[in-house]
Amino acid sequence: MPNHALRLASLVFGLSASSLAGAYELFLDNPPLPEVLTATRLHQAPAAVPGSISVIDRQLIQASGARELTELLRLVPGMLVIPEGSATNVNYHGGLGAGARRLQVLVDGRSVYRPALAQVDWVDIPVALEDIERIEVFRGPNTVSYGANALLGVINIITQKPSDSQGSRLSYTTGKRGIEDWYARQGFGWENGAMRVSLSGFDHDRFDLDRRGNDFPDSQRLSRFNLRANHELNSQHSFDWQLALKDGINQEPNYELITGDALFKNHATHEDAAIVAAQAPRTEIQARDYAASLRWNLDLSPHHSLSVLGAAQHWERLQEWRACFETGLSAPAYSCGLINKNSRETRYDLEIQDILSLSDNLRIISGAGYRHDAVDSETFFNGSRSKDIVRLFGQFEWYMNRHWLLQGGAMYEDDSMIGDSLSPRLALNYLFYPGHGLRVVYSEAVRSPDMFEEAADWQFYIRDLTPAIMGQTAMYYPARSKVSGGLAQERIISRELGYNGHFSSLGLHLDLRLFNEDITDLITHWPEIGNFSPGNDDRLSFKGWEAEGDWRLGLRDRLRLSYAYIEFEATHHYDSELTPRHSGSLSWLRDWSRGWNSGLTYLGANSLNTLRFERVDLHVAKRLQVGSTQTTLSGTWQQRLDDNHLGGRNTNYRQRHVFWLSAGLEI
Amino acid sequence: MPTFSGKKQVNLCLLLGLMLWLATARALDITVAAYSNGPAMQAFIDSLTVARPQDRVRFIATHELPSSAQMNHDSRLILIGPQLLDWRQRSVQGPPTIVLQVSRVQARKILDKREPPGIILLWSDPPLARQLNLIREALPHGQRIGVLYGNDSGFLVNELRQAASDHGLQINAQFWPNSNDTRPLHRVLDHSDVLFGLDDAQLYNSSTIKTLLLSSYGRRIPLIGPTAAFIRAGSLASTYSNQEDWLKSINQLLDRDPLSWPASIYPESFQIMRNLQVGRSLGISLGDKHALVNRLQHLEITP
Repeated sequence: MPNHALRLASLVFGLSASSLAGAYELFLDNPPLPEVLTATRLHQAPAAVPGSISVIDRQLIQASGARELTELLRLVPGMLVIPEGSATNVNYHGGLGAGARRLQVLVDGRSVYRPALAQVDWVDIPVALEDIERIEVFRGPNTVSYGANALLGVINIITQKPSDSQGSRLSYTTGKRGIEDWYARQGFGWENGAMRVSLSGFDHDRFDLDRRGNDFPDSQRLSRFNLRANHELNSQHSFDWQLALKDGINQEPNYELITGDALFKNHATHEDAAIVAAQAPRTEIQARDYAASLRWNLDLSPHHSLSVLGAAQHWERLQEWRACFETGLSAPAYSCGLINKNSRETRYDLEIQDILSLSDNLRIISGAGYRHDAVDSETFFNGSRSKDIVRLFGQFEWYMNRHWLLQGGAMYEDDSMIGDSLSPRLALNYLFYPGHGLRVVYSEAVRSPDMFEEAADWQFYIRDLTPAIMGQTAMYYPARSKVSGGLAQERIISRELGYNGHFSSLGLHLDLRLFNEDITDLITHWPEIGNFSPGNDDRLSFKGWEAEGDWRLGLRDRLRLSYAYIEFEATHHYDSELTPRHSGSLSWLRDWSRGWNSGLTYLGANSLNTLRFERVDLHVAKRLQVGSTQTTLSGTWQQRLDDNHLGGRNTNYRQRHVFWLSAGLEI
Repeated sequence: MPTFSGKKQVNLCLLLGLMLWLATARALDITVAAYSNGPAMQAFIDSLTVARPQDRVRFIATHELPSSAQMNHDSRLILIGPQLLDWRQRSVQGPPTIVLQVSRVQARKILDKREPPGIILLWSDPPLARQLNLIREALPHGQRIGVLYGNDSGFLVNELRQAASDHGLQINAQFWPNSNDTRPLHRVLDHSDVLFGLDDAQLYNSSTIKTLLLSSYGRRIPLIGPTAAFIRAGSLASTYSNQEDWLKSINQLLDRDPLSWPASIYPESFQIMRNLQVGRSLGISLGDKHALVNRLQHLEITP
């Protein structure tokens, strides 16, 4: 036998006789490394998700030049953003524009959906855009994962981890319409942890005119404090805790009490004179938000992890103004006093979640939660109200083989004010080619009526009456709304067909969603004192399709497209106005090299709140790197292509364009 | 029928062939030295012994090693690990030596740019070009390649740039001198489609790997490399050479005249290790492992 042949044969036999495990130890140079991306930490691939998720990443946030969270949400297919009074409302697919109550909004897992008055005060969320890593929007019902209120979708705001935001950063923005923002951050790390502290300010005048052409007072001025820290106690235990504070003033035109009763109607000189004679045309809402949360993660093994999230939040809205009333008496004929719409809401939330990976193909997520919601408002609730919610949930993800993925689960909730509910979901994904999947999803979800809908006792108490009326300096304004309660939960049945694919050679991500959503027991109302009796009387259904594409062309260009085609049927005309049949966005991001970047975005809707909306945004940035110091100069120009007002009561600008300039320093 | 002169020529050829055979088949004393002699080392010695039946293979623990100058210069020395490279390079005299389990960065720290005669290094880290080819094949859209480098691994970045420019790939390199300060990591992730791991223990170790992987995965950016040892932690994929591949290279070297040895080589044969769960989560299909190895081998022949 030739020598080399002998050696080769010996080699092969020798190898087969040797211990491969031993060989691996020697030649793989195997240092003791922790298993980091364990089965419990990994997320589903986009093609395997039981629904559609839009991701607004940091690159998109920066390239959009956006100053407000709500502006970023315009990039999500089917997401409808309109200003309403001093607020901005975000609805998915439609509903009453002024009452966006059917989306769950979370900041690092903490719900910022106000417990009693069922709304998300977007501008008041105590988070700076600069601290956000990405925003994930789950389009479609997801009560099974996030509990009641995730009726139409979930917006998950994920902030940067402290270890990802170290060093100092300063930025200042100034522009038209009174824009003046600032941001300061310090992040630092140590061997087993990291901390980030940021302070920020946000200031603008917002709209100039109401729809009648009158001045529209809705400026917003606020400052925020955020702290997030992470501690790795050992390879198994870690803690993440956060503090967030926000204090600010939101101006609002005064719509209250424009009709009403005289204080002493029986003595009115004539029946129809019962109106408020005068009141402050604008008021200021002192809005303070406080939040604290602590998450404890325990990695029992690479296949089993446990996390406990505890959160406490407090929302304070103080709004007081002076109004003058016709008393209906001969003397004094008028009296002026202070009325308010103050509210204080508190939420305590505790959730335990267990992720167990039984094999590479089967993962089970289960858990339980307890929430206590409370409100104190003399005006809206005639005192205090509270409720407790207990929830149990379980889900499974089962790869039956490499093509078929079955996911299912259910959430059981018991709301002490409303009753219990069970929300199931079942989804089947067919991964017909690596990175490409078709899905069929059936889900049911609920929205619990909020405390105001279920238990409002709405009446204004007038203080400091001058002159006193029959010796009294305080008394109730006669109009009152006390609801009877007994509302049922709104229910949605959603059916979805979808496709998600990643064409890796093209750098193209594509998602298509065909949906049919039917909401029954719908509670539609426009809260008005003296005329407020919500009921489960309405119904709203949507069908249509959505597309989202994200295409990286070469090294420098990125195109992003979103489009939604929506047809709807609504039994209440309030729910009929918001939804555009066609809406979408197109963004082009380019890296021009030498530190120059640009983002050009077109936003359009054929009939947003009954009117055409079109806007083009251009953001240009220049980055200069000197050593470890990075300076960024940028400018953003927004140009409306239409001249329509946006919200129901709002609103327009004197000029169709607005711009702002920013300078930032990062060390 | 051959002529007499023809017979003479045949005999001469046979003689030369016999001499060549004797030269190549001459029994060698092969000494394998390492700090420890665990089961893995014993398995390697056993395999080497089986592969070299005509040679005498023995193991010596480091503390029993004589000075290299005192060793038989006709023998061959196989040293495992950077400490023994350091020991060997201190003496000009000594038997021809094959050094294993030393990375480019480790060798640079010991030798700087020197190439001591009589020593050949079989690099333990995957070749940069091979890892780049892996990215080209597995992540065809991964054109912006992020690289972190430290005090000792900067020299590899230039080589990487050279290799990448041939394929139109962009290298975004960031100096990361202090692993407690993650700003360079995020600067590199800001402008990259994939993170290329350099086998530099100052950057990639059991303390830093959690931050590295969670940060890159948080942005859906896969890590390639630095070595197969990081796959279980959560790196997406890496090329590597197993014992069989190493023995092939060692065998070929032992058959050659040590004077013809280059200063260093990478093993020609290699495998690919993947983390399928991470790939599935990132929506990246790495296809069939063997087909991928074949494609990379083809790229090395015809780049």
